[in-house]
Amino acid sequence: MPDEEIAEEGLLTPTEPAIQDPLLRELLAENDIPLTAETPRERPQPTPAPTETVDCIVIGLGAGGAPLLARLAQAGLKVVALEAGPWHNPEKDFATDERAQDFLFWNDERLAAGGDPLAMGKNNSGTGVGGSTLHYTAYTPRPLPDDLHIKSDFGVGEDWPLTYDDLAPYYSEIERFIGVSGPTPYPWGPARATGYPMAPLPLNSAAQLMVRGAEKVGIRTSPAPNAALSARYFQEGVGWREACTNRGFCQAGCSNGAKSSMDVTFIPLAVKHGADIRPNSYVTEIERNERGHISAVVYTQNGQTHRLACKNLFLCGGSVETPRILLLNELALSSGQVGRNLMAHPGLQVWGTFPEEVRPNKGIPGGLISQDTHRPKDADFAGGYLLQSIGVMPVTFSGQVARGRKMWGQPLRDYMRQFNHIAGINILGDCLPHASNYLELSEELDGKQLQKPRLHFTAQENEHRMNAHAEKMMRDIWAAAGATDIWSFQRYAHVIGTARMGLSGDDAVVNRDGRAFDVPNLYICDNSVFPSALSVNPALTIMALSLRTADKFLESVQ
Amino acid sequence: MTSQDLLPSAHVSAATRAALTQRLAETGAAYTPQFLAPETFRLLEAVAARLFPQPERPVPIPLAPSVDQRLAEGRADGWRYDALPPDREAYRLGLGGIQEIAQALFQADFEQLETGQQDDVIKALASGTPPGAVWQELPADRFFEEMLAEITEIYYAHPWAQDEIGYTGYADLPAWTKIGLNEKEPRESPVE
Repeated sequence: MPDEEIAEEGLLTPTEPAIQDPLLRELLAENDIPLTAETPRERPQPTPAPTETVDCIVIGLGAGGAPLLARLAQAGLKVVALEAGPWHNPEKDFATDERAQDFLFWNDERLAAGGDPLAMGKNNSGTGVGGSTLHYTAYTPRPLPDDLHIKSDFGVGEDWPLTYDDLAPYYSEIERFIGVSGPTPYPWGPARATGYPMAPLPLNSAAQLMVRGAEKVGIRTSPAPNAALSARYFQEGVGWREACTNRGFCQAGCSNGAKSSMDVTFIPLAVKHGADIRPNSYVTEIERNERGHISAVVYTQNGQTHRLACKNLFLCGGSVETPRILLLNELALSSGQVGRNLMAHPGLQVWGTFPEEVRPNKGIPGGLISQDTHRPKDADFAGGYLLQSIGVMPVTFSGQVARGRKMWGQPLRDYMRQFNHIAGINILGDCLPHASNYLELSEELDGKQLQKPRLHFTAQENEHRMNAHAEKMMRDIWAAAGATDIWSFQRYAHVIGTARMGLSGDDAVVNRDGRAFDVPNLYICDNSVFPSALSVNPALTIMALSLRTADKFLESVQ
Repeated sequence: MTSQDLLPSAHVSAATRAALTQRLAETGAAYTPQFLAPETFRLLEAVAARLFPQPERPVPIPLAPSVDQRLAEGRADGWRYDALPPDREAYRLGLGGIQEIAQALFQADFEQLETGQQDDVIKALASGTPPGAVWQELPADRFFEEMLAEITEIYYAHPWAQDEIGYTGYADLPAWTKIGLNEKEPRESPVE
């Protein structure tokens, strides 16, 4: 260790790290000494009165929790949703400023380990009524049918216990309900009975450049399906929603409700049908009865502890908080798969400088798509990837330049002066599970005195080969489009697979209907149940699984 | 147009204006460090001044105060490299380590060095294998990346830095209609 005295002298108010000693912690608590700063909470919500046993509790109100909440409420069940974050008023509260919007992310610290540590926070997490959909890019392509059987096709990874046809009706229903703007017909995959309910959003500069470059290298492109409205749209339970104004701030929160996040779609529908939404409610414990069934959930809201009895629990906290809750409560662990099979989509980006004015912050960020690289003929890897044009906000971009190009000083300022001439393109690729990639609980405690999750991720040979193929492809496209000073930024996005579904409790946590093998009244629905990562963005499939999980549950109780 | 023209205009929402005017109001104001000791804070300021040299500005965009404030409040950004200790520990170790590099290379404190020498110290840090006992414990490349990214994001969140790169995205009311190549709204053009 370095000279401790010098280190201590550097501190004006030396602050203790999280207290590990339970006795000391107790003593401090008894004397009412705060251990760590609480995460600031917005707008305290009224404390609910104690209630009777409810039919269903849903933990987490993102793409996994919100659709099933609405479905269960529509079926007349008494449902309560516990969401760790606040309920926002985007029109009034959301600024067009990246730093001011930091509250959209799960900012409690997660530890990123392994050879390719996963950036969390704004890259990969969410909190608030709406979850990560509050800041998702709204890019909503469907998987192609063979995404769901990569093991049968390549002998690696895992097959889904579901087929594309099991999910297709849900994709159609969701695209129609939340309002997805996209091309009809869609150029890749099986023919569809119905098209997208709205025309695609207008192409921004990056999308136009990708059209130009891809044409020259012989790659087909199409305006992408995006869950943002290209025209006014009538939303059941909400009323008219306004069209997208091309702010380009999807990843920092949509302020006019044009982006189809859960807070403007399934959540109002759930509320209309009687769902009880409890924001700022952080779950600390899950109780079981003598038969091993879940009987109640303990949570804190506004500093007060509550206990709510339930007949069924739907755990939809995302692929970090869901396995964390299972591990902390020693719940549904018999398969040994909780926390394992952690996957993350290769999201390699390629940036370039163009002579034209690009102004990359305007328009829907992912305007264009190509799935020609879904199963490349010259691939030396399993699976494949999609190509996407990308817009970007300045602060996010500057951070990536700092991390990716290691620029600083005058060269960094000089490069950033070209911001209005910069455009990007990226991939979203499949990822294979690997024994060295997993989530565990660390010994370090967070602000709530719970063990921080540690995520181990090291990209393997298949990911490396896919990235190499994709990097060459994207550099070719960007050079053909006229870019200079082309550089790539390695990144992985979306944490997937930490409580996977399967046919047997020997190697999976939940069955094909989302029900835990170990606990009959526990259902899990979010990206943690994905058996494989898919070569498309996960949100649409999470929503589809959510509705299907609700339907299968309702069938089972009728 | 620049932030000076745009911020008071109807193109900026109330929430956006509040965030940006607050940032401007803090610019140039005296800041008393809340977490770092005064001499350590001055060291951080000196390092930040090399990461973002601003010779043209009589009042520079403040960079170190946001870092100190965050550390004082114990705020995190949702993750950290497992190889690094908690942020407060990482900054106090890392800044001590920068002083060690300065001593090893030039036998003087960082703040006493010529700017060229200061840049050499930062280059040594950025190389990932700088001299000094601290760096046997603290991975230099990860620490440098984290510090640089944080300070860079603070810099480009400031309206003056956004003016510098010609960014006007905060002035997004009522909408952007010209979003293609070489298209811009009147409010995106420089004032004649």
